[in-house]
Amino acid sequence: MQQIKVGDTLPTVSLKYCPYDAELKNACGIPQVLSTDSFKGKKVVIFGVPGAFTPTCNNNHLPEYHEKYQDLAKKGVDQVVCISTADAFVMDAWGKWTNVSDKVIMAADGNGDFVKATGLVQDLTKVGMGAVRSKRFAMVVDDMKVVYVGVETQFGVSVSGAGAVLAKL
Amino acid sequence: MTQIKVGDSLPSVSLKYCPYDASLEHACGIPQNLDISSLKGKKVVIFGVPGAFTPTCNNQHLPEFRQKYDEFVKKGVDQIICLATTDAFVMDAWGKWTKTNDKIILAADGNGEFVTATGLVQDLTKIGFGAVRSKRFALIADDLKVTYVGVETASGVSVSGADAVLAAL
Repeated sequence: MQQIKVGDTLPTVSLKYCPYDAELKNACGIPQVLSTDSFKGKKVVIFGVPGAFTPTCNNNHLPEYHEKYQDLAKKGVDQVVCISTADAFVMDAWGKWTNVSDKVIMAADGNGDFVKATGLVQDLTKVGMGAVRSKRFAMVVDDMKVVYVGVETQFGVSVSGAGAVLAKL
Repeated sequence: MTQIKVGDSLPSVSLKYCPYDASLEHACGIPQNLDISSLKGKKVVIFGVPGAFTPTCNNQHLPEFRQKYDEFVKKGVDQIICLATTDAFVMDAWGKWTKTNDKIILAADGNGEFVTATGLVQDLTKIGFGAVRSKRFALIADDLKVTYVGVETASGVSVSGADAVLAAL
């Protein structure tokens, strides 16, 4: 599938997530469906990471979005969604591990439907991470229309980071 | 691939893992290879779980092996390895989360090579877990020869649990 670009409509895909519950310390309850249709009428930032708990994702990419959440909200963002091709239990645990799940929706693209539909999938078999992983990216979607896409082409966080997205809002 | 059975040899594949380091609280260093061939001459227990951080795996299957570790040692077991088809970073985080990684080796079969080679792979696309997941199983291998295999056919932990394996030793 061709890589999604500005002006495209976000595909209708179901993700999964564990709703934030301050009481549930040690595990997710039952994963719920998060359909991209629910973003209709909203301004949403979606950023994708190759792997939960991996160094750049863990220490850099995800925390920045949590730290800058208020800045994003001030610019009209309704939701910040983090995606990877792990399942909802791993994403939930990662959100708790990094203390971000009160603000960032940790969403699971467990079958890779979203990353395939948007052309943002990558094969990381050669580093033992399997064939269906997300690229590192960020996008801004306004009422289902893509208004920004930043996809990293090398290590690190630049066009997919919170700073780059804020500059575009 | 047909399911591995008693008398078979373990396949020569490589897993990945983050070596236990009591000082590294928050992330893995650099994942290392764990070659199955390195288990030659040893008595090892390998148990597989469909998903790290998922309820049964998290609350029952993994902790039981950790709790009964000393009993396994008394029966001549050199290593206990837990594997899933996720990557080493997620397995490492899970080991820390459950406080089991001082005794259990949390190994990553990130490309599903081990579970595919042993016929222990299952497709969990219908619940959003992707096509390459481990079945819930346990096996004992003595100098690379399989002496016990228990594969669950229903929810829960029975033939793949610590007690069943201890009884088979």
